[in-house]
Parts: sequence; structure tokens; C-alpha cells
Amino acid sequence: MSFELVVAILIATVPLLVIFPSLFALTTWLERKALARIQNRRGPNKVGIPCTRIGLFGLGQPAADGIKMLFKEDIVPNGADRLFHLLAPILALIPAMLVLCFLPLDFSFVAVWDESIAKDIKAVQGFALDGAVIFFFAITGINTLSVFMAGWASRNKYSLLGGMRAIAQMISYEIPLVLSAVVVVMMVGSLNAKEIADAQMGWNWYVFTPWGLAAFIIFFIAALAETNRSPFDLPEAESELIAGYFTEYSGFKFALFFLGEYISMFAISGLAAVLFLGGGEGPWVAVYPWLAVGWFLAKIFSLIFVMIWLRGTLPRLRVDQLMAFAWKFLLPISIINILISGIAWHLREQGAAVTAGVWGVSLGILYVTAVGLNKLNRANVKPREYKYAE
Amino acid sequence: MTPEITFWVLAFIAVCGALVAVVRRNLIHGVFALMIFFAALAGLFLLLLAEFIAAVQILVYIGAVGILLLFAIMLTERVTGDDGRSIAARGWFWGLAAAVAVFVFLLLPAIQEADLPESAQSIQPSVKELGLKLMAPYVVTLEVLALLLTAALIGAVAVAQGAEVNKKEDSDDA
Repeated sequence: MSFELVVAILIATVPLLVIFPSLFALTTWLERKALARIQNRRGPNKVGIPCTRIGLFGLGQPAADGIKMLFKEDIVPNGADRLFHLLAPILALIPAMLVLCFLPLDFSFVAVWDESIAKDIKAVQGFALDGAVIFFFAITGINTLSVFMAGWASRNKYSLLGGMRAIAQMISYEIPLVLSAVVVVMMVGSLNAKEIADAQMGWNWYVFTPWGLAAFIIFFIAALAETNRSPFDLPEAESELIAGYFTEYSGFKFALFFLGEYISMFAISGLAAVLFLGGGEGPWVAVYPWLAVGWFLAKIFSLIFVMIWLRGTLPRLRVDQLMAFAWKFLLPISIINILISGIAWHLREQGAAVTAGVWGVSLGILYVTAVGLNKLNRANVKPREYKYAE
Repeated sequence: MTPEITFWVLAFIAVCGALVAVVRRNLIHGVFALMIFFAALAGLFLLLLAEFIAAVQILVYIGAVGILLLFAIMLTERVTGDDGRSIAARGWFWGLAAAVAVFVFLLLPAIQEADLPESAQSIQPSVKELGLKLMAPYVVTLEVLALLLTAALIGAVAVAQGAEVNKKEDSDDA
């Protein structure tokens, strides 16, 4: 391995390992502030520069939280599986960090001094893999295992219930997630993340087409469920399960779970940005190539902000509602969406009149399907019977 | 040089994972060891530049088969996983004999006969080639397989639902 190759690998990977964990710190602050604003509170506002009274809007809070987590006692419950209790938070972080390399964050502009290093960097970038999108979905699936591992190793019934819920939920929502991504993959004819982003150059974002918009909404909902975000945070429903699968975790192991969850949020928002929002495309990218990274992160952050907003707005779903929504609503509508996009692909580039017709018809079909499925599902809902409570 | 080191590391992990999966009495530990084996295998596929098969290996074997195993264990009585009872391993001699026989009479001749290339060769772009092959010459096979799997899926649902309906009727009678 030559020195240049090592440098190239470092430039391609280290920014990912630095940027996203620091963004995690910022996001926890943003989330607490935004939730506080929604709930008419002030949120963190005390911790700023140490030994002064400068508050900086509480921006020091993530650092204080981090120090607190480090110094907390690490408790392993009696009778827990010590090995798996230790491995679960590590396993939660590894896939989350790993999938970041499949997002087309191109740092080759860093190597302005040497053309050959820029070429080397391009050669080691994960998103240029031919099946980057498949790899993304394959590796995010491993996240489920860490949740199960934590739930099982804790030897606590609430943890185990949380772990079981997490598996059932993640398996159910992975299907609409992948099926909505299939629409874009079909349209582009490639699984390469870079090619998908490049195909949307010139503001041809897939979110601006009827099938793309439908797929984007399905993808976003399924992504919320995949990352255990509210309103799908049943695995950690504190009113029922204390804290779900990480009930028995404290100190830095808990922080690792937290970090893994947020990094998964970044990763899946990044994939949504690649598939539907044109990746790093934005104004002035052609002039300043480094702006692509900035736009990409801005898109990720807007999606994260919507996630926070939803968390402050929506109540949590019930388990049966959660499953019914995935299998009886999202799955049929995403299959119909694939059919529509297949037809639209065959009728592309045949004049404005045909395009307008296809758009109108597909919008109509999607609307009718959504309304029809909603009606059909409501007709089947019986009043809930409570066996053990009144 | 580097691919060889990677191969030996991955092969070592794969063998260790498989061994632990067989030897451990704790079912959940066994399943996770099996998953380590699958992951190492996916790494070996990557080393052969078969990236699509590597991705599918992770997706299907770790993501689907492994989780199915965990689900199955969760539905049995031994949720805790540890089981003091030893499994009667009387057939170990014949098992070993069968394994050796397969290795000597099937694998070894195949390895010796095969004309292996010096280094891995990638088909560029491999996923696209695979897709074109599946859609053009093998489309009938693919459709028949899809039909078969759909039938199996519907059958599984029917079987599962039938059992539940029967149970409900039973409890209604009682």
C-alpha cells in the first residue's frame, strides 16, 4: 500500500467520522431547543462558556452531557449476559457509521494540491460501488440485531419486550422503505449512489414527480419507523416499557446507543436526499465544488428538523396500528407506485402532452389508492377490546 | 499481498464463527456466532469482487435468516437461551465420517479439476449484467420462481390463520 493510497483513504473516511458525530452533538441541542419551543419552554440555556455567565443559548449542553455520560457509573444488571450487554451498543454504532460511506459525500476537492490524490480518493469512495444502495439497505438491517441483543442481554422483561417490538417493527417497515427506493432505482437504471444523484442534475429531482413524491413520503415515514423515531418509537415507549431495550443501560453504553440512533437518522436522511432531493445539487455548486457537501448536509438537516418537528407534534402509535399501517397501507400503495413509475418510464420523452397526461393520471391513481385504502382499513377496524384493563 | 492477509483473517473469523455456532450450548450465542460466520463469508465474496452477492449475503442471511432464527427461539420456551441439558451427540462419528467423505470425494476433486484464474476478475458493472441476464434469458425461470414463492407465502399465511381460527372456535366451545 502506497503512502498516497493511505492518504486518499484517510481523506475519504475521516471527515465522515468527524462530521457526523459532531453534528450529533449539535442535533441533540437542536432537538431539545425545538421541542422546548413547541412545548412553550426555553430548553437548555445555562451551559455555555465555563466559569462565565455567558450562556450561548445553551450550546455547551452537548459537551456537558458527554462529560456526564463518561463519568456515570456503568451498571450491568445481575444475571445479565455480560458479553452481549457490552457488545450491543458497539453493534449499534458499527452499521450506523458504516453506511455513511455509501452517501455521495465527495471530499476529493480537499486534494487541490495533487490531481493524482484526487483520483485515488475517487477510487476508494464507497458510494461509487456498483451496488451502493443495496449495501446501504443490507447494512442498516443489522441495526435490528443490536436492539435485540440489548433487549435480550439485559435479562429484563421490559427490555426484551422492547427488543421484540423493535424487530417486528423494523422488519415490517423495511419493505416499504426498500420498495419506495426501487422507484428511483428503476428510473435511473442504476444502484450507484453517485449516478442516482447525478441523474437528478438540473433540478430534475424525483420529489418533483408524482411517483417520486409518493415514494418520498413513504420512504420518509418508513425511515422514521426504521430509526425508532416518534411517532414510531414503540421499542422505547416510556409509558409502557420504561425505556424499552436500553432500560438497563447507563453511562457511556447508553450514550453509544444514542449516538448510533442519531447517526442512523443522518444516514437514512442522507439516502432520502440522494434518492429524491438531488444529492449535493444546489445553487453555485458548479462554481464551488465544495458547496456540494454543504448542500447535502443542509438537506440532511432539513429532514432531521422535520423529524424533530413530528416528534413534538404527533402522539405515539399503538402496536396494532403500527403493524396495520405498514402492511395494509404503505405496502399496497408502494407497489402501485412502482407500477405507475414503470408505465411512466416507458412513456418518457414523448412530448409535453403525454408527460402531462401521465402526471395527471398517476396523481389521480395515487390519490384514489390512498383514499380507498384508508376507507378500506377503517371499515375493518373494530372497537378495541381491553382484556386486562378497563 | 494485502488480499491474501485479508483472506486469511476473514477465513479465520468464518471458521471460528462456525465452530462457536456449533459448540455453544446457548442458542442465542449460537445464532450470533452464525451471523459472524455469514458476515465473514460476505467479506470473502467482496474479496472475490462479487459485491452484489456480498450485499445479498448480508441482506438475506444476516437480515432475514438470522432474525427468523431469533424469532423462532423467542417463540419457544427457552427464551433465556441457556440450557444445561446436553444434546445427545451419539451420531458424531457418522457425522464426521460424512463430512470427511464429502470433502475428499466431492470438494477435493472439484478443486483439483477446476481451472481457477490467478486473481479475481470483476464484471463491470456486475449488478447491471446480472439484471440484464435475469430479465432476458432467465425471465421465465424468474417468473416461475416468483410464482412458487408467492404460493408458498399465501400457503403459510393460510396455515397460520387456519390454526388461529380453530383455536378460537375451541375456546368458544369451552
